[in-house]
Amino acid sequence: MSDLDKAIAQLRACRPIPESQVRELCHKARELLIEEGNVVTVTAPVTICGDIHGQFHDLMELFRVGGDPPDTNYLFMGDFVDRGFYSLESFLLLLCLKVRYPDRMTLIRGNHESRQITTVYGFYDECLRKYGSANVWRYCCDVFDYLALGAIVLGASNTLSPPNDAVSRDVYVEEDIEIEVCNADGDVMSQFRRQPNDRKSPNGTAAKTGPPGSGASGSSGGSTGNSTGAVLCVHGGLSPLIDTVDKIRLLDRKQEVPHEGAMCDLLWSDPDEIDGWGLSPRGAGFLFGPDIVKVFNHRNDLSLIARAHQLVMEGFKEMFEASIVTVWSAPNYCYRCGNVAAVLELSEDNGEQILARSNGEFGRSDGGVARGVMMEGENGLKNGPARRYRVFQAAPQDSRGMPAKKPVADYFL
Amino acid sequence: MSDLQKAWAKSRLSSGMSPDAFDEREEEEDGYLTEMPEPTFEDDSSSASSASSTGTIIPSPSRNLFARPQGVPRGRTLQQIPWTTYFERELFLKTEDAPSSPTLHAYLISPVDKGPLFVMHHGAGSSGLSFAVVGSEIRKRQPSAGILSADARGHGSTTNPDSDKLDLSLATLSKDLLSVIKSTKEEMKWKELPSIILVGHSLGGAVVTELAMSGALGNALLGYVVLDVVEGSAMDALQSMQTYLSTRPNGFATLEAGIEWHVRSRTIRNSVSARTSVPALLSQDEVRTDSRPWKWRTDLASTQPFWENWFVGLSKKFLGARGGKLLLLAGTDRLDTELTIGQMQGKYALQVFPEAGHFIHEDLPEKTAVSLVDFHRRNDRSALVLPPKVSDLLRQGKKV
Repeated sequence: MSDLDKAIAQLRACRPIPESQVRELCHKARELLIEEGNVVTVTAPVTICGDIHGQFHDLMELFRVGGDPPDTNYLFMGDFVDRGFYSLESFLLLLCLKVRYPDRMTLIRGNHESRQITTVYGFYDECLRKYGSANVWRYCCDVFDYLALGAIVLGASNTLSPPNDAVSRDVYVEEDIEIEVCNADGDVMSQFRRQPNDRKSPNGTAAKTGPPGSGASGSSGGSTGNSTGAVLCVHGGLSPLIDTVDKIRLLDRKQEVPHEGAMCDLLWSDPDEIDGWGLSPRGAGFLFGPDIVKVFNHRNDLSLIARAHQLVMEGFKEMFEASIVTVWSAPNYCYRCGNVAAVLELSEDNGEQILARSNGEFGRSDGGVARGVMMEGENGLKNGPARRYRVFQAAPQDSRGMPAKKPVADYFL
Repeated sequence: MSDLQKAWAKSRLSSGMSPDAFDEREEEEDGYLTEMPEPTFEDDSSSASSASSTGTIIPSPSRNLFARPQGVPRGRTLQQIPWTTYFERELFLKTEDAPSSPTLHAYLISPVDKGPLFVMHHGAGSSGLSFAVVGSEIRKRQPSAGILSADARGHGSTTNPDSDKLDLSLATLSKDLLSVIKSTKEEMKWKELPSIILVGHSLGGAVVTELAMSGALGNALLGYVVLDVVEGSAMDALQSMQTYLSTRPNGFATLEAGIEWHVRSRTIRNSVSARTSVPALLSQDEVRTDSRPWKWRTDLASTQPFWENWFVGLSKKFLGARGGKLLLLAGTDRLDTELTIGQMQGKYALQVFPEAGHFIHEDLPEKTAVSLVDFHRRNDRSALVLPPKVSDLLRQGKKV
């Protein structure tokens, strides 16, 4: 058993690892993350998770429900720390898994992965309490600066694989399910079939023919590929400064989260039922409406944006005709909000639905012509990837390591 | 100015920044002394509006009688600092509706041109001067801003005609605040209400939230700010409140002793603030029988019947009213469940100042002012300008 595996085992038992090991881990993680672009490319299958906020036992529940790493690929959309009582164990475990299984674990940055925010909302105090010094907090913050800002999921299938072993694959293909909601035990709670005319993207596609999300152009010699576009994952949302995914790639991300600007917006913005852009009540980032999402998805050949950042009581929430989804993975947030959590599962495109794949690479969007032809002829063209949400509740808490109850304010009038 | 500087300034200007904004930036970078604030009003702004008002003291820099006493070591003096150091005038506003209603007292710095008006409401037992220092810090950063800080009935210089029946219900207090705003507009002969940011501390937070919820200010209201009060934790603290109050001294031998107590007990953690605000909390017994003649103006313990009324439903109203919302908390965040959910859904802005005590704006006037000015800037409807696209910036050769 390597040191790393030992560390993983220890952290899984919710026991912090020694400071020297944290230092080494953070160092390794940084070397790994520095090689990643601002937007990491991830291939399906992948399970996408939202905020964790130091709720370690709920993270364990998430792994139970979604499948253990490395058997399941995970993409965490930030906000690992703060608020919960086990930010340290949660973040270090995820980081260990990242270092151990770099291709099966993707971590992107949330607005709480910041020095300023963690000093106020608990992570700093927790490190101080558990190690007696701020060193570990400092190492972790250095890692935060290297976390990617977003991810693009390619190769997501437009059909689901069975939710558990009891269901045969054939049923799934035939039933043509777009959205399925499962409970924590893998039982199907509800299913939504794809509507024949349920087209999320506008009919004419962009003239670009490079991989979705890249904005690249060039001839792609006829590979039709999967008809689902890519899925962009980002913690908060869009920025008025960013019109293509490629613009995200140009940012200098290795810094503390700024108070304004593109990087700040990606981590802070929220979708809202408004026209265009609006002021965010949070005091950072913007609000953006359905038209913004649609134009952005169209321009970048995306079928969906997955984001976290906002508490949704049902665990997930699709908005704007399923062009954007919020995924929230901290059940009973702050141990008292009474919400359930969810993860979003995207299946692998297994090729059964697809006619030709000349180069084994997913998803050449094929330009307007080929798509137009398919729309008229086949019934197989589906824009959105098939999505399975696994909804779960809070794990039973033990009170170990919980700090004493906050003192009551003695004066408040 | 070197060529380089010129080119820089030019590019700043061309990117839509006005020369005024430019100056503001420069000012912000200057350090400021916490020890003794300077008077913040300019001659032109105060004299222009003073003609319309009688019974108003108009201080001017040349009459700055209370400037920093030379030779006194920093932080040692506990002499009071008069309100004239901070405000342009005080107003005694008579409300018409009932003869028994009090004459409402408020301090004012007028907004300049289209500047916003920050309307302040203090907490129980405090006074309008609680916002004196933070008000002047706001003016340093936003010279066009106005400050209107009211004394609630039974507090400061707003006297209650019928002191036996002090009505401190939330409805009454928010009605009072509304009439302070409206009467000030009359008194100052403003053609229309300036755009308003309501700021309330503690009980005042409940008052401004109530007023925001009522919609009585209409479109003039840009947003509201609540300083260090949360329904859940306030209700929790209710029981220990009387115990806390009983630990306060009943009176002080001198005004300075009162100031000293506030500083030493860390009730107010900034001596300039204490020297400014404490004098309005105490009044001298006319019959000087006691060795400690300086008594509390407001008998807080007797306000107990109103406590629950102040805070019940506060979180819901805070989230529900229209306008920008900012919650500033001292120490740790004490959000109740409703506000925790609201915060994580992005319904309002939250800032926590771990180093501050309950009187955040008195403990940390500069930081509070920065937050308030920034809050106004973000909520200023006349100025929602989207930043330039990254592609445009790159074209101009800028770093992104």
